[in-house]
Amino acid sequence: MIFWEIAKRNIRIHMLRSSLAMLGIVIGVVAIATMGILGNSMVLAVTDSLRTVGDSVIVTPHVGGGMFGPGSGAGSVDLKITEQDFQKIQRASAPNVAIPILQTSDRMKLGVGSDDIVAAIYGINPDDVPDLLKLTAGDYSRGNSGCLVGSTFADDNNVKVGSRISIGTDGAKGTLRVTGIIEERGMAFDIMTDSAIVVTRDWFDSAYNRNDYDKVVVKVKDLDDLSKVKTDIEDQLNKRDEIVDVVDTRETMKSIFEVFGQITTFVTAIGGISMIVAGVSILNIMMMSVTERIKEIGIMRSIGAQRKEVMAMFLYEALILGVVGSLAGGIMSLVGGYAVSSLMLQTTKYLFVPSTLISIVYGVSFGIVVSLICGIYPAWRAATLNPIDALRHE
Amino acid sequence: MDEQPVMVFKDVVKVYPLPSGDVTALDGVSFQVDRGEFISVMGPSGSGKSTLLNLMGCLDTPTSGEIYISGTRIRDMSDKELTELRRDRIGFIFQYFNLFPLLNILENVTFPMMLKSQKAVDPEKGRAALRSVQLDDSLFTHTPMEVSGGQQQRVAIARALINNPDILLCDEPTGNLDSRTGAGIMELMSDLNRQGTTIIMVTHDANIAAYSRRTIRIADGRIVE
Repeated sequence: MIFWEIAKRNIRIHMLRSSLAMLGIVIGVVAIATMGILGNSMVLAVTDSLRTVGDSVIVTPHVGGGMFGPGSGAGSVDLKITEQDFQKIQRASAPNVAIPILQTSDRMKLGVGSDDIVAAIYGINPDDVPDLLKLTAGDYSRGNSGCLVGSTFADDNNVKVGSRISIGTDGAKGTLRVTGIIEERGMAFDIMTDSAIVVTRDWFDSAYNRNDYDKVVVKVKDLDDLSKVKTDIEDQLNKRDEIVDVVDTRETMKSIFEVFGQITTFVTAIGGISMIVAGVSILNIMMMSVTERIKEIGIMRSIGAQRKEVMAMFLYEALILGVVGSLAGGIMSLVGGYAVSSLMLQTTKYLFVPSTLISIVYGVSFGIVVSLICGIYPAWRAATLNPIDALRHE
Repeated sequence: MDEQPVMVFKDVVKVYPLPSGDVTALDGVSFQVDRGEFISVMGPSGSGKSTLLNLMGCLDTPTSGEIYISGTRIRDMSDKELTELRRDRIGFIFQYFNLFPLLNILENVTFPMMLKSQKAVDPEKGRAALRSVQLDDSLFTHTPMEVSGGQQQRVAIARALINNPDILLCDEPTGNLDSRTGAGIMELMSDLNRQGTTIIMVTHDANIAAYSRRTIRIADGRIVE
């Protein structure tokens, strides 16, 4: 079609200003798509690190307002779950496994001459440990003198299977032998073992003289039962007073992802501002193009070009600028996304997944739509010019 | 041969409403143009020539009175219908040639054909039209800026004739050309008229008007002879 050809040629003869307008679109697309890629990659990275605990209900002693919430460990100094309450939890959550957990932190020494360090210590029934933790080396400890250590703890302190750890000041609580290294778990709602050690419940009882629990983790087999288990526990224990706080980890993860989603939307919207600026520059050069060609529009109209044809000619111009700029922006977003992912997340494995790549599609589509929208007004102005006035224009 | 007049003006009045008061540009103009005529319209500045030209070219509609182009009444026509009428029935030739700088000469000539057919057209028709105005084949792929004023006006004439219009409407066709080139263009127009093309030419140059076979003189919005 001749109007398409004219639009192309007009862009070509004004290459510099067309390129600058397209550069604006490129920047807009890159800003939107890169922010989207980064946001989604972060969500995926968090999903990966939280995946292990998406099947649990966590029960902690009830804390009043103003705390950081259940599961944070805050306020658990005096508040405990009694054996009686645990029995209720077990009944309410049957047939799912309820795992009672004891928790403290203490000084410990690794080998003669080394400095004392302080780390978290979890006391868990040896039978329950395989339900909760996976090992990368060694074996689950059976005897009372064995313990498991988190992956970060092992790396930081050069601990291996067979290493010995003296617990308490000057080893007052006794010495334990490392029987296994726990697989990295990252952020978790139940227990964060990466920098901790896990001992048997009996050893914990004898060392710290404790019978009440800090939290109970219920591993729910059928994920559809998560909210039912949560409600059942609340009904059993919180009938009169709030005794425990019950957290359904999947629900919590959902809230976290919602927050991440909002953050992604927010940063993408910031990228969108640059697109609006780019759109204004498209509007500007399209207005220039119309003003420069008023006489030409008058000639076209006088020899028989319809309004819609004149309008189409200018819209084609905006479309070409938008499509070329957006596609170039799309390609650069891939490069930018790769760079940002490598720098900020230290991995690019989340880049080539559909939910991340869709950000590029969104960016490119938005670029094209913005260009077209910004071309509408100048095109309309051109199409509605009075042919007589346009012909007389010098 | 169709005996219907190609253009009829009946008591045409054109009033421009202005804040300072209405201005009557044409005041009861009546005339008829028969097929095959070569008419020049003459008059001083401000006489209403441009208004008459706009109305003859269907770029404007009258305030009162009637205009018929090949029997079609143009009053109350929509913009779309007037545009189609211009495209199919009227060929325009301007003082400043008004070719499209982004298109080459052949594309300029075939442009109205594309408007009419809404699809790609046979360039051979464009070449034939250009040859009929005595333009050399070697110039067909040049842009308008690469050829002389006289050649540009020949291209403009070929463009105006490409859709076989009923009327060729010319606005000072030689006004931007030297006298020799202008004479060449007028010879071409006379040839076209002899072959049957109806021509209406607005001019203030009596030498140019001499090529026409009838002259309409206009003053203060009225036809004076």
